[in-house]
Amino acid sequence: MDSKLTPAQRKKVIRDNVAGWLFTFPSTLVLFVFTFLPAFVVIFLSLFDTNLVGKMDFVGLGNFRELLGSGDFWGSVLRTLYFAAGSVPVAVAVSLLIAVLLNAKVRGRTFWRMGFFIPYITPLVATSIIWLYIFNPGFGMLNAALHFVGLPPSRWLSDTVSAMPAMILYSTWHDIGFAVIIFMAALSKVPTELLEAAQIDGASGWRTFWHVTWPMISPSTYFVVIIYTISAFKMYTQVAVLTQGGPVDSTTTTGYYLYQQAFGQMRFGYASAVSIGLFVIIFLLTMLQRKVTGRKVFYG
Amino acid sequence: MTTMRQSVFWNKVNRVLLYLVIAILFIVVVFPFYWMIVTSLQPQDVVMNVPPELWPRHATFQNYIDAWKFAPWLRYFGNTLFVAVASTLISLATSSLAAFAFACIDFKGKEALFNLVLSVMMIPAATTLIPNFLIIRTLGWYDTFYALIIPFAASVFGIFLLRQYFMSMPKELWEAAQIDGASRLRYFRSIALPLAKPAIVTIAINSFLGSWTSFLWPTVVTQSQNKQLIEVALNTFLGDNSQQWAQLAAASVFTTIPIVILFFFVQRQFIEGIGGGGIKG
Repeated sequence: MDSKLTPAQRKKVIRDNVAGWLFTFPSTLVLFVFTFLPAFVVIFLSLFDTNLVGKMDFVGLGNFRELLGSGDFWGSVLRTLYFAAGSVPVAVAVSLLIAVLLNAKVRGRTFWRMGFFIPYITPLVATSIIWLYIFNPGFGMLNAALHFVGLPPSRWLSDTVSAMPAMILYSTWHDIGFAVIIFMAALSKVPTELLEAAQIDGASGWRTFWHVTWPMISPSTYFVVIIYTISAFKMYTQVAVLTQGGPVDSTTTTGYYLYQQAFGQMRFGYASAVSIGLFVIIFLLTMLQRKVTGRKVFYG
Repeated sequence: MTTMRQSVFWNKVNRVLLYLVIAILFIVVVFPFYWMIVTSLQPQDVVMNVPPELWPRHATFQNYIDAWKFAPWLRYFGNTLFVAVASTLISLATSSLAAFAFACIDFKGKEALFNLVLSVMMIPAATTLIPNFLIIRTLGWYDTFYALIIPFAASVFGIFLLRQYFMSMPKELWEAAQIDGASRLRYFRSIALPLAKPAIVTIAINSFLGSWTSFLWPTVVTQSQNKQLIEVALNTFLGDNSQQWAQLAAASVFTTIPIVILFFFVQRQFIEGIGGGGIKG
């Protein structure tokens, strides 16, 4: 400590230090125990073959070797990417359309916006239940609608081919509101002078959109794409309620596979290795997102 | 003149088209909620009709009564409310204190500690699921409310957001308070906190919604019926009544309604919190 300080100043420095550490202590403790410590524990566990109740055999990098050679793991990664590839473009297109329409000075904007946003805040279990009913191959609303327009019915969640598209449909419906809000915010920040200038130059609405608006909002588009892709890898609840990963693994995404290996098969060591694999994937996606858009992301 | 009248005409057509497209999209998105309510009011034998009946001609509340009687829902609501309120209040307290220290107090190691806290963002919950399950068991908290509350008793998002707020407050305010002899805690409580109200509301809504809709974590760390949270209980109800669509819809309605009502009250803050305040409603 600086000896030139007066006793009063010195007292203040000491008090500042005490207060600083005291005030940050509760948060730091919780974060240490439930986030930092687990990050190390998961690495430790990944080196063992363990069911956490007795068996605890050291296997070195055996779990990782199994992981890298596992058709089930890579299958789950591919299915997750399939889910992302099916849901993200649709989510971006539809949410952008909604945001553009709502930004066109419509009346009752708050009301419309609330409608588009409400699926996002409603719980996954409750809404999955009603979609189970909607997807029902026998008397569900979706097949009734297909029949009404003269299309053949689908078995939706009960068929290995249509289960993932159905999962994509549900998830896109549930999460679309988030992207709508992001795009509405982005659109409202596009300077109106730019749009007016383009119009004066004789550009059509369509051209103005592609050459002015779309490039201006591209950071938000990247943000939405990466956030939705990351959440695909973390997805668990709707899989558990709608399909439990089936039929025949057709909807077992990586998040669900992790849970299955841990709490279904009691293979906590191997599942820890899956966790680390998941971390690497999400970390790379986050780095990509930061590099491209410079936004900070908060995980739930 | 004709061209102008024409363009007025086309403008009107455009407006009509605009509202038409919005309305169609709106109906598609909101329809599952309508369907949830209609189904919950239908007699059980009607819900398996082909084609489905779009309007409940013989509306009945019997499904609500049957579904409600099937399980101790009041208990589940109580558990969920308790866990949601407790984790919200505790995380608000810990994050605002930490944010205040990071923003307003000079202490040794502040920068390093703050960076460490921020780095927590890089670790997703999916990665810490298994070790946290082990830690909860080691602490002896398996199947207790501690397991549902304490891991959420701090929020990096909250610390980050509140710190921004506290840092944007004029320094003179803090200096004046110190000259007046106010302690740090007093300044924090009576000046800094009230000024950060919008951030506090945003954090509270996020935390409350998070607890109310949580599913995976309570599935992993609780077991007994009297610790069950609403979403887990609803999934169990689904398992026990997998073909009772009318009752399932009724249970979905009454477990979702509290969150929808809450949302109506806070929707502006919540949406602005996501959109970064760029949109006005």
